[in-house]
Amino acid sequence: MGMSAASSVSEAMKLCIFDLRRGQHEGQELDKILYFFPADLPFPTQLSVIGLSEGLITFTRIFSPEAPCEVIEAEKHSHVFYEAERDIWMVMVVDKSESEAIWRTASLRSILKEVHSLFVMFHGSIRALLDREPSGGLTRTHLYYFIMDYLSDFLSGKKLHLPNFCDSLKERGMVQMLTIGREAALEVQSLVRVLESCAGCTQSYSLIMFQDLLVSTTLSPDDLINLFTYTVMRLTPNALSAGASSWSYLRKGITSSNASGSSLTSSTSVLDCYYSSQDTSPGGVRSYQVVRPLQHEKWSKGKDGFLVTDIWGTEVGSLSPSSPTIWLKQTEERMYLCAFQHRSLTIILFIPVTSVHNGEQGLSVVKQQILENASSKIFKVEEKLSRGWGGENAYHVSGYRYLLVDGDRCISRASPPGKVLTLTKDSLVVMSKLREEVDLEKSRAKCDGFDCEKDQEICIRAKNGAWVISRLTRGKELYMVLEKANETLLYASEAVEKFSDRCCSGVFSL
Amino acid sequence: MADLSDDDRKPKVGPSTDSIDQSLDAIENQLSSISVVQSEFDSDLDTEEASSSNQDKLANGLLNGNPGADSNVLEDLSSVWRNMSEEMEAPSSPSSSGYAAERGSNNASSSRDIGIEEVDGEIVEIGNSDSFDGVSDSQVQWLPGKRHGNEDDASSSWRKRKKHFFILSHSGKPIYSRYGDEHKLAGFSATLQAIISFVENGGDRVNLVRAGKHQVVFLVKGPIYLACISCTEESYQSLKGQLELLYGQMILILTKSLNRCFEKNPKFDMTPLLGGTDTVFSSLIHSFSWNPANFLHAYTCLPLAYVTRQAASAILQDVADSGVVFAILMCKHKVISLVGAQKASLHPDDMLLLSNFIMSSESFRQLVIEAGVAFEDTDVTVNGCANFSIFVLAFLHVANVSFGVARTSESFSPICLPRYNPMAFLHAYVHYLDVDTHLILLTTSSDAFHHLKDCRVRIEKVLLESNVLNEVQRSMVDGGMRVEDLPADHGSHSGAVSAHLGQPGHTREPSERFAEAFIGVGGPAGLWHFMYRSIYLDQYVSSEFSSPVNNRQQQKRLYRAYQKLYASMHDKEIGPHRTQFRRDENYVLLCWVTRDFELYAAFDPLADKALAIKTCNRVCQWIKNIENEIFLLGASAFSW
Repeated sequence: MGMSAASSVSEAMKLCIFDLRRGQHEGQELDKILYFFPADLPFPTQLSVIGLSEGLITFTRIFSPEAPCEVIEAEKHSHVFYEAERDIWMVMVVDKSESEAIWRTASLRSILKEVHSLFVMFHGSIRALLDREPSGGLTRTHLYYFIMDYLSDFLSGKKLHLPNFCDSLKERGMVQMLTIGREAALEVQSLVRVLESCAGCTQSYSLIMFQDLLVSTTLSPDDLINLFTYTVMRLTPNALSAGASSWSYLRKGITSSNASGSSLTSSTSVLDCYYSSQDTSPGGVRSYQVVRPLQHEKWSKGKDGFLVTDIWGTEVGSLSPSSPTIWLKQTEERMYLCAFQHRSLTIILFIPVTSVHNGEQGLSVVKQQILENASSKIFKVEEKLSRGWGGENAYHVSGYRYLLVDGDRCISRASPPGKVLTLTKDSLVVMSKLREEVDLEKSRAKCDGFDCEKDQEICIRAKNGAWVISRLTRGKELYMVLEKANETLLYASEAVEKFSDRCCSGVFSL
Repeated sequence: MADLSDDDRKPKVGPSTDSIDQSLDAIENQLSSISVVQSEFDSDLDTEEASSSNQDKLANGLLNGNPGADSNVLEDLSSVWRNMSEEMEAPSSPSSSGYAAERGSNNASSSRDIGIEEVDGEIVEIGNSDSFDGVSDSQVQWLPGKRHGNEDDASSSWRKRKKHFFILSHSGKPIYSRYGDEHKLAGFSATLQAIISFVENGGDRVNLVRAGKHQVVFLVKGPIYLACISCTEESYQSLKGQLELLYGQMILILTKSLNRCFEKNPKFDMTPLLGGTDTVFSSLIHSFSWNPANFLHAYTCLPLAYVTRQAASAILQDVADSGVVFAILMCKHKVISLVGAQKASLHPDDMLLLSNFIMSSESFRQLVIEAGVAFEDTDVTVNGCANFSIFVLAFLHVANVSFGVARTSESFSPICLPRYNPMAFLHAYVHYLDVDTHLILLTTSSDAFHHLKDCRVRIEKVLLESNVLNEVQRSMVDGGMRVEDLPADHGSHSGAVSAHLGQPGHTREPSERFAEAFIGVGGPAGLWHFMYRSIYLDQYVSSEFSSPVNNRQQQKRLYRAYQKLYASMHDKEIGPHRTQFRRDENYVLLCWVTRDFELYAAFDPLADKALAIKTCNRVCQWIKNIENEIFLLGASAFSW
């Protein structure tokens, strides 16, 4: 049974991580493989995937030394490359044979980027791990569990559901914000101040989320994206009650499979089958103690409102779980992650490990402070936000299916997935292709150093009569599908104009 | 004026009427002996091993590996073959088959020195464009032929070239490279082969590799592999289309029966068969940056009064009824008339490849030399498009006198039309009636030369009598549709066919005309340019370039923008779309695809959308009004 499940997963995708600095001598080729999915693929097959990748990296450097191989498009497969760290490459090979298999390269690459930057947030860089233990066993073990847990989010039934054309109005690696009124904003601001004082140290950061949306943060953009992603994946009320439907793209697999808690567990075990079936994995998996921050159903809400997990093990000599810690890119410091939840509101404090005396004990003092000083404010803010909250379809604009991306601020907003699903496949495919085209132009502009100056408008009337539109201006992007629009271009342009005035303060108006 | 000797006037038939056929057959006959020779020193190096060793290199990331020992073997082999082919080809005159294509004697020496280049490595192609055809015979412009033959993959200049094209055999032997010496590129070629076969061995086929601004596009055609490495921002579909044409061009020269050579000997070296065809390939590649026929898959006609074209068509039809498969009368790359024997239809791609082959091979056009000399006599320097009219007028002065006595060459050459029948040769009788106007008669019979010559004499007589050739010259001077001349509102000019393309303003004296020639200021509503493709006719018409699209660089940029728009509209899976509007810092582009036609229009980037749309409608109306002047009607089964 495990085998059949395995084969259906392996056909859809291969994912490997390899280090160009390792295994350069004959007979030692295996040493360059840091991770391979599916792990039960015979080594010669693994090596041939990596050999081709390596060959093409070398080959393309002849002409493009600064930006070597990014993608190989073959008849049946796409190979998407990402140099995660210097000489450490991630390559994803996806099968094109299915009808649903229409991808944007950039969207597949964003998965590689996401999993890598989450990994670094919890475990530090791959290179640092390799340096710490040159045999590579430690790194392999960490990558292995981490990516397995990450991929389980894409499982729907026994299949990996990678973002395809259906997701062409979504953008990974972006933050979705809650729009709040002035009054609420002031309340939030004062809550942030109280939280900072609770932390008792100046280097602390906070993140406040309502449902799966960002309310406020003091984190730097890079760290924010990682922590926002992690929070939505595992910490928000929706994530904790895994069975509840979520409308966030970050839990795509679960939404589409209509997963209950139990089916989630079973889908995780589909991947587990892989790993248990190959205990021969290099380095000997069992000998390392591994923290698995992406493991499902490991977080829960305690009686005091703080979220608890045993992912980070237990304190030496006690039964209470150790507090989670993460690396912040900005400060290059390890931080405690201290999360409190009240109804839809999730509040996370990040406190430098070095500034908390007595470890867990010091942290419980902070928690106590929060309960005493901040809880009333927290309740008030939650109430206010809940009252103003328009529900899942809060950002639906009738007649429009859209995606707005503010690249500078890493913020995106989109039509609710439920509404996007009402579009025909054709419209979505056209949008996906249009985005691929825009992606290419953007990356070329980037190569030329005209990153933000790109100003472009494309309106396509597809065969099915839908208008598929993209607008780029001053680092902001708007993608839109109008299915029930009039046939004239002027009508479509007017619709964009109206939308721009109403929803983006005229950014896209001419 | 250079006096051509009698030898030059003789039909260039010689023993080579079917020389390629013969050589291919000869190859096959000789292959057994070659393979005997080969097996003596090459027994342990069959193709599988060669390619698997390449793959090992690939797997180890050692891509710059010297082919080492096996390249010596290859060299030995090719020298054996060279000897044989020399023997074989000795009796045939190099120009007789058209593909040996050495340049006209008096510009051969100067031409190679003039090659002017951009710093970034692409050739600056001065003054030669779709609409300014006349200059392309002048010496100050793009010249076909191999550039940078001394480079190889180790030279940094070679690596920086913007667009490489390679043809290689499935065993990794280089056949053609746009830049650099094929022999020096053997190692690189083996690498390309290794990539292709590595992926192939995994049960897949590699189409595209993308790296930064570079794209590597692969195309496998049986034993022939083609690759393009480019950082020109063209789409994958466009580049793939260009490789298809490059392959087609090779088939046009050799037919697909060359596959049999590879079946018999996988390591067969094709380069001797393509000797001297560098200019054909380089001129095709050059056309990838100016000739819209490459991506529109349509041909364009020289604008002519309906009756004039009818007169030409009638005589061609006469000839076609007497065993000619296709009779084509062209002026540069523009069709004057085209007639096919019953049920035979000529694919626009075949037309493109054929006309490229003929126009890039100097041996077809001895008159050029004469014209050049005539031109030098008038002591005018042609150094740009603006002087085109001067050139033509100057030429006409001479031509009026010398037409009757002009000694033009005639050639008879085997060619294959890949879309018509990739396996067989046709025979092309080519004759230049004047500097640009040439007649092509295609037949299946290899001994029809004298018949075709007679046909040509008849045709030429009728064309002269009915004044067609003069009309052709006049049309060349007048040029095509100009955006400035777009009628104010549709309907009012529906009956006006008397003047030049519906515009009474163009019946002025030539001298008056050329004074203001090519100083277009753009059309209404910021219209800069348009192209219109009639789907049923397989023909397109494009306007003359107007300001500010008036230099080669700008024209090339517009060309690429159109090409991109075309690719975007014609998506393989979900296309064609109906309409597309595109605005960026350079243009507003509008594309409109219906069942009957496709319109592509370029406007000022600040153009008003509503006005632009109205203007497009007017363009379509204008074209409808004068379609019988700008299109060849009734050429295909479809009647307009």
